[in-house]
Amino acid sequence: MAVAAGRILSNHLLKNSLRNCVASGLPGLTKVCNQLKTINVHNSRCEQLRYETTTTVREAVPQANAQLEEYGKMCAEVLPKYIQRAEDHHNGQFLNLSDIAGIDIPAKTNRFEIVYNLLSLRYNARIRLRTYTDELSPIDSLCSVFIAANWYEREIWDMYGVYFSNHPDLRRILTDYGFEGHPQRKDFPLSGYVEMRYDEDVKRVVAEPLELAQEFRKFELGSEWEQFPAHRNREVKVRQVSPGESFKQVAKEGEDK
Amino acid sequence: MSSSQITTRISQQVVKPLISTSNAEAKRRVLKLYRAWYRQAPFVVLEYDIPIGEKEVRAKVREQFEKNKHVTDMRVIDMLVLKGQMELKETANIWKQKNHVMNYFKETEVKKTDDFLTNFYEGHHV
Amino acid sequence: MLGYRFLSKLKHVLRPRPTPSVGFARSQEAQAVANKLEVFIDDQKVVVDPGTTVLQACAMAGVEIPRFCYHDRLSVAGNCRMCLVEVEKSPKPVASCAMPVMNGMRVKTDSPVSRKAREGVMEFLLVNHPLDCPICDQGGECDLQDQSMAFGGDKSRFVDNEYTGKRAVEDKDIGPLVKTIMTRCIQCTRCVRFASEVAGVEDLGTTGRGNDMQIGTYVEKLFASELSGNVIDLCPVGALTGKPYAFTSRPWELRRVESIDVMDACGSNITIGMRSGEVMRIVPRVNEEINEEWICDKARFAIDGLSVQRLTSPMVKSPEGYLENCDWEDALFCAAEKITRAGAGNVAAVAGSLVDAESLVALRDFLHRLGSETLTVNSEHPSDHLVNDLRASYIFNSGIVSVEDADHVLFIGGNPRLDAPVLNARVRKCWIHNELEVSLIGQDVDLTYHHNHLGETLSTLEQLLDGSHAFAKTMYAAKRPLIIVNGKILCGENGSRVQDLALKLANKLSQQHAEDGWNVYNVLQTEASRVAALDLGYKSSSKSALTKQTKVLYLLGADDEVINRADLADDCFIIYQGHHGDRGAAIADLVLPGACYTEKNATYVNTEGRAQQTRQAATPPGLAREDWKIIRALSEICGVTLPYSSLSTARQRLCEVSPSFSRYGDQEEALFFQQVVSLSEDSSESGATNEKLTNDMKDLSHFYMTNSISRASRTMAKCVQAFKDKD
Repeated sequence: MAVAAGRILSNHLLKNSLRNCVASGLPGLTKVCNQLKTINVHNSRCEQLRYETTTTVREAVPQANAQLEEYGKMCAEVLPKYIQRAEDHHNGQFLNLSDIAGIDIPAKTNRFEIVYNLLSLRYNARIRLRTYTDELSPIDSLCSVFIAANWYEREIWDMYGVYFSNHPDLRRILTDYGFEGHPQRKDFPLSGYVEMRYDEDVKRVVAEPLELAQEFRKFELGSEWEQFPAHRNREVKVRQVSPGESFKQVAKEGEDK
Repeated sequence: MSSSQITTRISQQVVKPLISTSNAEAKRRVLKLYRAWYRQAPFVVLEYDIPIGEKEVRAKVREQFEKNKHVTDMRVIDMLVLKGQMELKETANIWKQKNHVMNYFKETEVKKTDDFLTNFYEGHHV
Repeated sequence: MLGYRFLSKLKHVLRPRPTPSVGFARSQEAQAVANKLEVFIDDQKVVVDPGTTVLQACAMAGVEIPRFCYHDRLSVAGNCRMCLVEVEKSPKPVASCAMPVMNGMRVKTDSPVSRKAREGVMEFLLVNHPLDCPICDQGGECDLQDQSMAFGGDKSRFVDNEYTGKRAVEDKDIGPLVKTIMTRCIQCTRCVRFASEVAGVEDLGTTGRGNDMQIGTYVEKLFASELSGNVIDLCPVGALTGKPYAFTSRPWELRRVESIDVMDACGSNITIGMRSGEVMRIVPRVNEEINEEWICDKARFAIDGLSVQRLTSPMVKSPEGYLENCDWEDALFCAAEKITRAGAGNVAAVAGSLVDAESLVALRDFLHRLGSETLTVNSEHPSDHLVNDLRASYIFNSGIVSVEDADHVLFIGGNPRLDAPVLNARVRKCWIHNELEVSLIGQDVDLTYHHNHLGETLSTLEQLLDGSHAFAKTMYAAKRPLIIVNGKILCGENGSRVQDLALKLANKLSQQHAEDGWNVYNVLQTEASRVAALDLGYKSSSKSALTKQTKVLYLLGADDEVINRADLADDCFIIYQGHHGDRGAAIADLVLPGACYTEKNATYVNTEGRAQQTRQAATPPGLAREDWKIIRALSEICGVTLPYSSLSTARQRLCEVSPSFSRYGDQEEALFFQQVVSLSEDSSESGATNEKLTNDMKDLSHFYMTNSISRASRTMAKCVQAFKDKD
């Protein structure tokens, strides 16, 4: 899986800061992860392989990385408002918005991180674009570019309380009517604030402040032998494969051993 | 984090407005929403068939608005108005059910008390 | 027996002392500093004392070696071979648990040789170990499971399923507590060593050899020990598991609550395993100063009594004489009416054996506010002459751990083996390893080790005091003697006399040879609530409460035979507050349901004067409430509201009354021992000296059912039956 990450600040900051940074050629705002290709050695005679646990990592290709970084920068430049450039870009053709995700890191000034996962079927590549915002700064909706963004953005709104401006139909999607709060925020307690029950007297479901009459289920999986650090974490052997090498060669080597 | 904390933090930066561009506009939006809720009250009573009169519904609406009367930040006001609008839409379209509406009135909730004996009889932990 | 004792002493010379904290190697320390050994564990240098085993040296270097048979508190057997490690210049891997270190030794704990050795041993173990983990109670906390995951090979070569199959061993019946599935046994012999070394009951052993080796009792018989449950924790596999706990829950489902045992006054540290509001099991928690890592069977298995015979609703006696359920309001108003009508001085209270300090202080303050001073513990003692004003006269002054340093222990009365099994286990340990001499005055009982029985009567004590007893010379020669007086004897008919003589003897001993600062006089209380009650000023004789003047008698968990309806006036109103429908509730006019020790956060003070707290694992059943809250509520109804309404404020009040409650876990030292001695001389009374010291704990059958919880327990009843059927 090739992952390129264009790291973008929240929209309201973008106009100033991003432009400056990109103009001055600072890589600070745009970071591209190493291209990683993981190949799982799979063989029907796996049990005969001596090192089943060996992880094979494809070597980094600096040239390809540089190219991707360049591309990420370009995306960062054009994304703030319209990801469509990424979509339309002839060399990318990221025509598919496979996912929008949110992350909440309360310690940050812009605590919410919104992650767009784009997929290019044409080139079998994925691109991940991040933008940042806080509780009150709206983000431009992507619905005009990707129809798929509609429900994803409703979900982000419902779970994190991030407002998407110009969304055609922004309303709750997962929580119940009348539900207060945004459950995926880190400051939202695991147990919630209210508990629901059917009340025999008023003949309907009522929501009352939490009292937790029932035990919270929690498993303790610790074992006394967990304290064997010396014998655990044996280093996993990692074998690097050069780009030209095929899976078959790797598998064959394993067999020979 | 309380909304006031957010406000102070944000106010040091140049911020993007949520919807309103001035306090007057934000105020207008609040009043507009209040008016819409006020007009909706008889329909709420009728459509949800709740054992509560228009008057109480309106009082409840007012109470909900007054709960946030301390809010001065334009963007926080906007956010609350947005949520209020969504709520209104859910109510007016009868997406909600009776219990959702009735949850505002908290009929079954027992008030917490510091009185030792009451808690003792009820079996509540002090 | 003697042969064994000699052997184990020899063994002790050869190997280092089993626990690091105990103090019986003082003299060795001086030499040890001079000649330390240098060893290398995985190229990491460690400097250790000579005589340290390779396994211990590895532990110091932070490398744990897998093991099955080795256990810190048992002798080294070296028969499981799991701890094999490679040692440089040694032709074969060595068993690290039995191998003493040598200077410059280089140990490789994770080399291919070590790893291969472990995998091989594990493979041999698993050849004859059934694959019944899904139905095994040890599953999830099984050493074999865990270590086979961490150290075993990753594939099986066992293909012989259809022909010879695995070895199978017949299960043994060793009593109602320990369930045996002997096919799972890996012959580590931990249980055998525990039985013979710690429990002192040579019931378990091995028969056969090689593949035919079995652990068992040879002939079917009861594993008759008060500590038998500990073999369940010791067993690294599922061969020995708890019979009452069988098939009930998995260890990862259990919520662990760290608490304190109240079945005896030692205050053993326990962990309560709780699942969905129900106490599933109790296991010991290590506390080197009290119980090491053992607990007695009553502490472990009486928990099924927590869910039966419980008082779940307030009850008031109807005109027909039946107790009928009512609600709290009615019950409290009924009690308040009787109490206010009784008048100031006519309310008395008796505190039972399982009561916590918070409710004791609440009851004390309540009665004081009503104008009554009659607060007593449950005791048969005829008068108030017992000297209990100073703490030194009723606690175990020198601490349980002092047994490790003592050279002579004199038990006066009672049966320490059954009154305080974990203390007795420690005395036995010191008897084996430290040349500790033990003597006993009172009815002779089996203490699991050799002791001098000096006599049965008070006159023995007098003879010791004036030096005319044949044993007096030996006694006075002791450098660090301990006198341990049983609390029950002090409560008995001759209590004051025993106390007086014992104090004088202690005084004399400490003046003779004993080292400075060595506390000779110790009281072994037998009830968990006793020290806290005496700290809070409860009187040591129930007689003052049980009079015809008493109009209202408040029984706070008092369930013992001491309380007799016949001693009281006919119109005396008895209020019983407690958790079990036992003797106390049977004679009561009003019942207030309380919480037992697993259902409340409460303070208990053990016999050493060490305040410890239990923690809530379950909620009180039905309408039952925490005890101090009941008294607090009642005080409000009576119009004398107590000034605390939360647990923290109640505890503040405790600290005000006695600072010994202010620190949890520490033993609060008692001062003014000399004053105790002089006080006792003032009050000394003369009396018949040929009376025998009574003892109600003659054998195990008396041990199991001693309080309202254990009397309600079916498991404990089965134990009594099993012991009676034994012969």
